[in-house]
Amino acid sequence: MSALSFTTSPRRRRTDAVMRGVLLAATLVALVPLVLVIYMLISKGIGAWSWSFFTTDPTGSFLGDPGGIKSAIVGTVAMVLLATVIAVPVGVGVALYLTEFGGGSWFSKAVRYFVDVLTGVPSIVFGLFIYITLVIGHGGFAGWKGSIALALLMLPVVTRSAEVVLLLVPNGLREAALALGAPRWRVVARVVLPTALPGLVTGVLLALARAAGETAPLLFTAVAANATTLNFGGRMNSLPLQIFNDVQQAQDRLVQRAWGAALTLVVMILLTTLIARLASRRSTT
Amino acid sequence: MRSRQWLALAATGALALGVTACGSSNNGSSSTASSGGGSTSASSSGSGSGSSTINGAGSTFAAPIYQQWGSDLKGQGVTVNYQPVGSGAGVAQLTSGTVDFAGSDPAMTDAEERTAAARGEVVHFPMALGAITASYNVSGLRSGLRLDGSTLADIFLGRVTKWNDPAIAALNAGVSLPSSNITIIHRSDDSGTTRGFTAFLSSVSPEWRSRVGVGRSVKWPTGTGARGNDGVAAAVKQTSGAIGYVEQAYALQNNFTFADVRNAAGRFVAPTLASTSAAANGITVPADLRLTVGGSRDPAAYPIVSQTFVITYRDLCRAGVKDASARGVAKFLQYGLGSAGQGALRQLSYAPMPSAINQRAVAEIATLQCNGSPIAG
Amino acid sequence: MQREPDRGLTHVEAGTLTPGGGRSSLERSSLRRLPDRLLKWGLTALAAAILALIVYFFVRLADESSAAFSRFGVFGFTFDDNWDVSKNIYGALPLLVGTLITSVIALVIGVPIAVATALYLNELCPRRARGVLTTLVELLAAVPSVVYGLWGVFFLIPRLKPVEQWLSDTFSFLPFVGGPVAGPSYFIAGLILAIMILPIVSAISREVIATVPVEQKEAALALGATRWEMIRIAILPHARAGITGAAMLGLGRAIGETIAVTLVIGNAPTIGKQLFDQGYSLAAVIANEFGEAAATPIHRSALIAAGLVLFVLTLLINGGARAFVIRGERRRGQA
Repeated sequence: MSALSFTTSPRRRRTDAVMRGVLLAATLVALVPLVLVIYMLISKGIGAWSWSFFTTDPTGSFLGDPGGIKSAIVGTVAMVLLATVIAVPVGVGVALYLTEFGGGSWFSKAVRYFVDVLTGVPSIVFGLFIYITLVIGHGGFAGWKGSIALALLMLPVVTRSAEVVLLLVPNGLREAALALGAPRWRVVARVVLPTALPGLVTGVLLALARAAGETAPLLFTAVAANATTLNFGGRMNSLPLQIFNDVQQAQDRLVQRAWGAALTLVVMILLTTLIARLASRRSTT
Repeated sequence: MRSRQWLALAATGALALGVTACGSSNNGSSSTASSGGGSTSASSSGSGSGSSTINGAGSTFAAPIYQQWGSDLKGQGVTVNYQPVGSGAGVAQLTSGTVDFAGSDPAMTDAEERTAAARGEVVHFPMALGAITASYNVSGLRSGLRLDGSTLADIFLGRVTKWNDPAIAALNAGVSLPSSNITIIHRSDDSGTTRGFTAFLSSVSPEWRSRVGVGRSVKWPTGTGARGNDGVAAAVKQTSGAIGYVEQAYALQNNFTFADVRNAAGRFVAPTLASTSAAANGITVPADLRLTVGGSRDPAAYPIVSQTFVITYRDLCRAGVKDASARGVAKFLQYGLGSAGQGALRQLSYAPMPSAINQRAVAEIATLQCNGSPIAG
Repeated sequence: MQREPDRGLTHVEAGTLTPGGGRSSLERSSLRRLPDRLLKWGLTALAAAILALIVYFFVRLADESSAAFSRFGVFGFTFDDNWDVSKNIYGALPLLVGTLITSVIALVIGVPIAVATALYLNELCPRRARGVLTTLVELLAAVPSVVYGLWGVFFLIPRLKPVEQWLSDTFSFLPFVGGPVAGPSYFIAGLILAIMILPIVSAISREVIATVPVEQKEAALALGATRWEMIRIAILPHARAGITGAAMLGLGRAIGETIAVTLVIGNAPTIGKQLFDQGYSLAAVIANEFGEAAATPIHRSALIAAGLVLFVLTLLINGGARAFVIRGERRRGQA
């Protein structure tokens, strides 16, 4: 392509080479933190991993064995799944409204705008909101309240990604089905949703991966606990919170647990991302 | 060591490749990393006759004690969730009914008790005494640096900024002090340890009293804030040239070096079990047990000490605590104030309350109620 | 990307739709249309509920923060330099300043690198490497905030302290530089934020750059421009609005970031004298103090007010960003 550049002066060519180098260097610089983080995670975290690390709860003992992270893993999985169960039907439903029924009405514009607003809300503010509406004066901290805070966080992500995917379903398909006499709900249920399904799954998984790593919304909703529990009515532990608490500890054993838990969390998130990518590949090939 | 680094490096590459391969190639490669979330056996509900979960929050000063007792009690059917969030947060959570008991180093003030009265009358159980150490991380400097109150105040006011400041050198003839900067670590949360520490500084430095004052949280003139005793300990540990104030158990646990501090009798005293106990000699104990140690004239007493309380409601059930949890709180207190709990206390280097006070606290357990009927059995 | 739907799937689905009747839609009874109505009204109700929830969200935050605003005044609360929990005086200026300083550092460091990355990936990168590099940059966004915090505490702070001290001593003639370095600081927090906003700024920049018409680029090259000159002449002017929008979205992200900042900013509610001093941010103060504020109404109200200030800030910034991105897209329409 640059075969035409025979007229280019050496100075311009040098500038070009330098700037290409700068851009390449910047790209590599951008990857330095990633490499460092992953390297540190693995080199420090893998040492903490053991069978008992995954199968015991934190003991909270000051001098003895600090225990593992079982309750944190179980709590994160449970709360994120409940959050998904809440956020997905609502998010996809709102997206369906926007794409299938809303048209260009002022109401659908308002909904879209406010969902956008929700996207930008800092996650800690969701925690605040749940605290003042559900925690205080309503029986204290509980896992399900953490799930709702996470669901609020996931909702705009799910809605926006679902809307994008639903818009990709060709209108011709909808019109063809309608012209054949199918009622609207069957068109939605049998044509629109199945066509968009892989894309929807990708969006949901990405939202899920994001929620799994969030600490701030859980800080004063689900709090933390030591024991493994699936009782959403009580406090629930979670990986991010376990890490957050262990980081601020002086004991090397607890700091090591933080690294081990962080590695676990990142692996879980990467696996989810991986599955999301596989799902989206299925939809495009 | 070396091979582990290589392993990590290789794994970094593998993990990154595993994910990127999936992002770029057509062939969906299978996952490379082992899954960590396999075990989901929920073994939470023991639901035996006496089993219960109790939630507490507050003092990080006393957290080692309650966590130790909690793990001792696990075999007896009481699960203790104690969140070390600071005394202020503990009192706040007790008042808003999100915990069954609070850990707090200072007793609740009259105003706080009035706020809490919406749920009922509170009871204070004095549990232990602990020394607040001035711990430092200065290479080449061992435990036993001599400091007096006014120098310590000047350090935390940001006026003494180097370790070889004449004020410190004057107290430590013959000790070679480095010229490095002093980095101050203090609490960022609402803390009983801060209250104990600032109470001492105020008693010896008029400028501290007028500029900063006494409180669970104060407006620090300088320094880095950290959450909890453990957070301060962590920051001191990671920062060379740092000084911070932590409860003795944290200092010992982390092999910190800490100062001998001049007491009211003019002697430099190291924080020990004996010197902490001495600080409680001759204190006055009010009827509701809301005592405050400090300012002891005993020549053997370490000057920066604090008491710590468990606080709960007289009638727990009316305050919103479940029946089983109310019984769990009573059991927890009985264990802690009894001989086994007090023994664990000493192992963690806290000083027990004088036995007269301990007996009054034990007697107080019998007055705990659930909907009007006593719960301790 | 691909607008082509899955062919096989479509045929099967279309086939299953017909057996009901082949009747014309004119004959649809109102009974048959009932499910349609239900679906439509159900979804509308759902959307309305979300709208109501968001409005309620606002109202509750405003309501809960009103005590602080009425005690200190909106202006006083936001711009007084005195956050003193012990005296129950809440002036959030030190927090606001901390939030802004760290975010600005994040932009100054993060945006040029993100844009350069976007340019490299879109315009210069060999095709084979592009997918891998793109995914790697995106992976930066998959690392949770608390993990960046962990890394910051145990890697960045100790490793960078000598560097910071050197910078502080060498450039002490500059404003806001010079003096002892503590470890946790505005600078470290800003650096971590820069890493965290990098993937989103880069992703949006790449989208914007991709909208530059191929003819424009080819025209520049045909006139003998080098690659860099093509980027400077054809791409950057065209993409400027969009890149500005991307930077603002990054700013919105940086302002609201909580956990990583809490761990590395030093948690001192005073305005630091220099870049390498400890400070505090709006989000970090909420994370640290909210637990103990529950029983002190004015403290709680002040923290919720801090949350509201944060919320309004992100709202303004994201609104601005959207306007820029839309303007960038309109340009494409005209081109």
